[in-house]
Amino acid sequence: MTTATVRTSANVPKAAKGAAAQPAQPGFAGKLLRVDLTKKRCWAEAWSPAEMQELLGGIGLGAMILYRETKTKSGKGNVSWDHPDNRLILATGPLAGLPVWGTGGLTVVTIGAGTNGPTSTQANGFFGTNLKYCGYDAIVIQGQSKDWVYLYINDDTLELRDARDLAGKDTWETQDTLSGKLGLTGHQLSVYSIGPAGENLCRFAAIQGDYGHVASKNGVGAVMGRKKLKAVAIVKGTKPLAVADPRGLMQAADDIAHALKTDPGSKSLYEYGTLPGVVNLSKLGVLPIKNYTTNVPPADITEWAAPKLREGFDHRGHQCNACGMHHCHMSIIRSGPNKGQTIDEPEYEGWSGAGWTIGATRPDQIADVAWLNTQLDRACLDVNEFGWICGWVMECQEKGYITEQQLGFKLAWGDIKGAHRLMEMISHRKGFGNILAEGVKRAAEKIGGPAKDCAIYFEKGAAPRGHDHRGRWEEMLDVATASTGTMETGNPTFPTEVGQPARINPYDGEQVAHYVAGLRGRKNFEDSLGVCIFTVRCTLELICRALNAATGWNWTWADAVRFGRRTAAINRVVALRGGYTPAIEKPSKRYSSTPVDGPAKGQSIAAQWDKMIDVWYNDVGYDRKTGKPLPETLRGLGLDWLVPEVWGKKA
Amino acid sequence: MKVLKITPEKCTGCLRCELACSYMQTGQYQPAKSVIRVSPFEGHTSYAPYTCTQCAEGWCMTACPVGAITINVAGAKDVRDDVCVGCKLCTIACPYGTAFYDPDTRKAFKCNLCGGDPACASACPTAAITYEDTATVDWIGDFAAHRAGRLLETV
Amino acid sequence: MAARHLIIGGGTAGINAIRTIREEERERSEITLVSAERPYSRMVLPYFLDRSIAESHVYTATPRILAEWGVKSHVGRRATSLDPKGNVVTLDDGTKLEYDDCMIATGSSAVRAPVAGADGANVHSFWTLDEAKGVIAGIAPGSHVVMVGAGFISFTILNSILSLGAKLTIVEIAPRILPRMVDGPGAELVEKWLEKHGVTIRTGATVSAIEDVKGKPGTPARKRIKFARGAKGGDIIADVVIMATGIKTNLDWLKDSGLRIDRGIVVDSHLRSNAPNVYAAGDVAQGPDLIAGGTSIHAIEPTAQEHGRVVGANMAGKDVQYRGSVIINIVEVCHLDVASFGAWDDTTAEVISASRPDRPAYRKMLFRGDRMTGAIILGPSSDIWTTNDVGMLKGLVQTGQPLGQFKERLRQQPFDVKTAFIAAKTTARLLPETVVGRPSKAPGDTPVAV
Repeated sequence: MTTATVRTSANVPKAAKGAAAQPAQPGFAGKLLRVDLTKKRCWAEAWSPAEMQELLGGIGLGAMILYRETKTKSGKGNVSWDHPDNRLILATGPLAGLPVWGTGGLTVVTIGAGTNGPTSTQANGFFGTNLKYCGYDAIVIQGQSKDWVYLYINDDTLELRDARDLAGKDTWETQDTLSGKLGLTGHQLSVYSIGPAGENLCRFAAIQGDYGHVASKNGVGAVMGRKKLKAVAIVKGTKPLAVADPRGLMQAADDIAHALKTDPGSKSLYEYGTLPGVVNLSKLGVLPIKNYTTNVPPADITEWAAPKLREGFDHRGHQCNACGMHHCHMSIIRSGPNKGQTIDEPEYEGWSGAGWTIGATRPDQIADVAWLNTQLDRACLDVNEFGWICGWVMECQEKGYITEQQLGFKLAWGDIKGAHRLMEMISHRKGFGNILAEGVKRAAEKIGGPAKDCAIYFEKGAAPRGHDHRGRWEEMLDVATASTGTMETGNPTFPTEVGQPARINPYDGEQVAHYVAGLRGRKNFEDSLGVCIFTVRCTLELICRALNAATGWNWTWADAVRFGRRTAAINRVVALRGGYTPAIEKPSKRYSSTPVDGPAKGQSIAAQWDKMIDVWYNDVGYDRKTGKPLPETLRGLGLDWLVPEVWGKKA
Repeated sequence: MKVLKITPEKCTGCLRCELACSYMQTGQYQPAKSVIRVSPFEGHTSYAPYTCTQCAEGWCMTACPVGAITINVAGAKDVRDDVCVGCKLCTIACPYGTAFYDPDTRKAFKCNLCGGDPACASACPTAAITYEDTATVDWIGDFAAHRAGRLLETV
Repeated sequence: MAARHLIIGGGTAGINAIRTIREEERERSEITLVSAERPYSRMVLPYFLDRSIAESHVYTATPRILAEWGVKSHVGRRATSLDPKGNVVTLDDGTKLEYDDCMIATGSSAVRAPVAGADGANVHSFWTLDEAKGVIAGIAPGSHVVMVGAGFISFTILNSILSLGAKLTIVEIAPRILPRMVDGPGAELVEKWLEKHGVTIRTGATVSAIEDVKGKPGTPARKRIKFARGAKGGDIIADVVIMATGIKTNLDWLKDSGLRIDRGIVVDSHLRSNAPNVYAAGDVAQGPDLIAGGTSIHAIEPTAQEHGRVVGANMAGKDVQYRGSVIINIVEVCHLDVASFGAWDDTTAEVISASRPDRPAYRKMLFRGDRMTGAIILGPSSDIWTTNDVGMLKGLVQTGQPLGQFKERLRQQPFDVKTAFIAAKTTARLLPETVVGRPSKAPGDTPVAV
């Protein structure tokens, strides 16, 4: 008998079988999954290699679909977030499902309920892995169902199934129930769902998936709730994913991993995820304390150091697809009223939104804060905006702007139980919660008076992430000018690679504005690849190496930046179509106030704001008055075809 | 003999081993065909990988009616594709559940230690899977008993 | 003088016994094989039938291999009598073979239901290689094949017949298919699955006669299958009829041997008959039953293999006790795996079962206290998680590992066997276990004669 096929030398893969059946473009599954909830139809739609190279996935793909498909029938304006024709796009990207660290997530793109404009928000987990191995790069959902349904995807089985029994369940219960029902454990099934907050159309409802991963910005959960789509359940597919250079991809992945483990900019993230943010940001005046009423942390903040936050729980690593970070964890509460409960270890933003912002700053509250954070994920409320709402209510009650009678109970700083009660009221729109469910901006405007001046928000209807941006001006400017209602540029990562300085004076408005404009592009590129932002904290060149190995392309860092800026311009055009103007690119009064204490004491962003906006517009090549990308800017990005629409036929 | 040592406490359930394994076993990324399988033992958490122990009996090998399973240079029980007819007897003979069948190739397949350089061990970012010269033991039994038991007790 | 071992039967048990003798013996012995057919593997005949393997692939021990192993063979001969006192076996050509010890592994033969016309042209059994060749010759694309009997044997060749482009009808006398392999709900799921894949099934149907249909001279005769009164549906016209109506053990030649025969040759834990130097293995051996206790015939390939190896080791002078056999069966029909283990039909056992018709998937697990004694599992053959559980169920039944509190886990989630299997430390229990008391050797590692 022959022994020819017995492996005699190590490390040689078997020859791939059935290569002819592979999609033309490596790195992609090759199809989009279309869902019409009104007609109760699901179908596959091919997309071409040229489109893949043009749009990648994630926000790149999503922005183009919004542009093409959310125009009203009359041709003027966009459909609103709650209209059946709004699209809810859940997109992966070319690196999703592959061995690059942290490649299981999704980018949610839609007309969001917060700003009623385009949005893009990411979550991780195993969505991307399970979906791509079923044969789809993205899900594009339109229409509205009459009754609660969930989308079931198992390779070629695509079904809208009755979810009336899931209504009212929180996101973790939803996933538990579906796992049990389908007989699938662990990552065999990936579920992204909404809890009560999404069902009840809270404006800052999120989409939560795979126990602790939240696409949280701009009310994407409300969009899903309006469509009466309770969950998307994806069985891990059985199809192969072809990549152009499998070994090169593994090598690039290992090089990225090496960078993450060793580079000073990412090492602590590798070891502890975002936990070190609490103590580190407090030193910069960027940790938001008690709704921005102070910036001085108590002396015992050392108890909030990353190792202590982790060791305080019985914890287990719980990473996303192919990820080697020591970031995501499941924690079991060791003692107290919630002893034995499993929670998702909060991100920095959980500690800030469910803790510091609402005045829960004592070390003995750590377990309670962590617990509240998971309850928010389960209800599907964005922890950031919840923090701003809850902190605002606490401050207003302390100051008598919102009475105990109005709210229905007494809510003091740091009261976790009370905050949880508030969460329940908001997510079920009960009593005063019905006002708060409209989000911090609309609630503040509704209450008005001095209460309004205490609220932290953007005029466009979005809320900031969980920092005190009075000490991090880049992010305030970034979100204020972003078409998506959340960061469009992101925090500097290897800025010198794209010709920007390694450091700037954080309180020099002009420098900040040049910086934000100059760094544009990278984030949209990252958010189109199907990767986690924390696992691509390396040079763009290295990310491109992974992309090229997966796809067989030849992208450079400059291509990546250009791609990101092009995507931003398309988003801007969609936003403009929906009535966006530079007039709403403003932080609220409290948000842009001058810190009265702490490391950023006396630094006033408000004083420099207009100048910053001017510089930014000039640098990015958008028109300061109308907010439109200038014709030459569009042409420079290869968007010549957009010029007539934006500027008329004469331009 | 070098074996795959599993340290379950280090596993985070990232499934990178499954990707690497499927590439080595099929030439493509296709975790559905990985022969190392990661699963949770405590509700949706506490993951650990599980694969062939290369047991002494070699139930798959002795069950094969055509002698298609042999022992390769790494000491692993390995399927000869040109001899296997795909009768699946090995999949029910193996009491560990680690002999598989691929309907696309109509052949059995299983962990063959990649001929001595297991891709899962190289791919594991947390060293939960290592390739060491040691005796095979039940690497994850105690871990699973403890973690799964915790949830059963709290019910 | 070298020990003289006589192996009667060249099937799985026989060939495994020979290999094991060569692996275990300290001194070179003399081995003689008597085999009615050239040694081949019955398990792979379905793949020969669908033409995916060559005939040469079917043979397990070719003359060259037998020569390498130093085996004197009498192929094409049958044993006709055994004299355990004189230690002599007589063959159908009159040859007398003396032995020091002997193993009887003469297997089974197909039997056809007593129906008029069951022995006519174009009516086949599917059991031996020659019968397989007969079936192959009869099937062409578009042929209508009717299988009488919906048991394991029919199901092993179902895929092959479909893949040849034939149309298939299965006729079963019992009210449901696979009566000896799965329970009612499992059979129902398989039946629906088959119908979805274009197979016609007629259960509760007793064939009364198989007749020739008069056709043009020179064309192959078609068959008309008639049914007894009460059966639904009319006659069926077929191109080929396969009678898969059962097997019987080949024991007739031992009538006067004085061996103790119940349903098979009754053997002890060393697989010895009442004649201490006469062993029996495979389908003819009524040996230790691991689950039920006592002795049973488990006429399946894995039992023949284990029997053969245990006997071989004992013949070579080792003292190997057989722990007992477990019924394990698997068949794949149109990419649906159907497997059962142990006492899956024990009506007095405690049962945990669950069904997911949409996947499709079905599970049934049977318990005595916290030990699993039997199981049925159905699932997509492409799903490795299902295969994972297939093996683990076998492991749990084979070891009878006490599951303790983890039995509750199986109740909570019957589609997750691995948690209970692993947490009950079944792996630790299994690792030291071997059939012949040492690590198995690879097929090519059997010592050969110099």
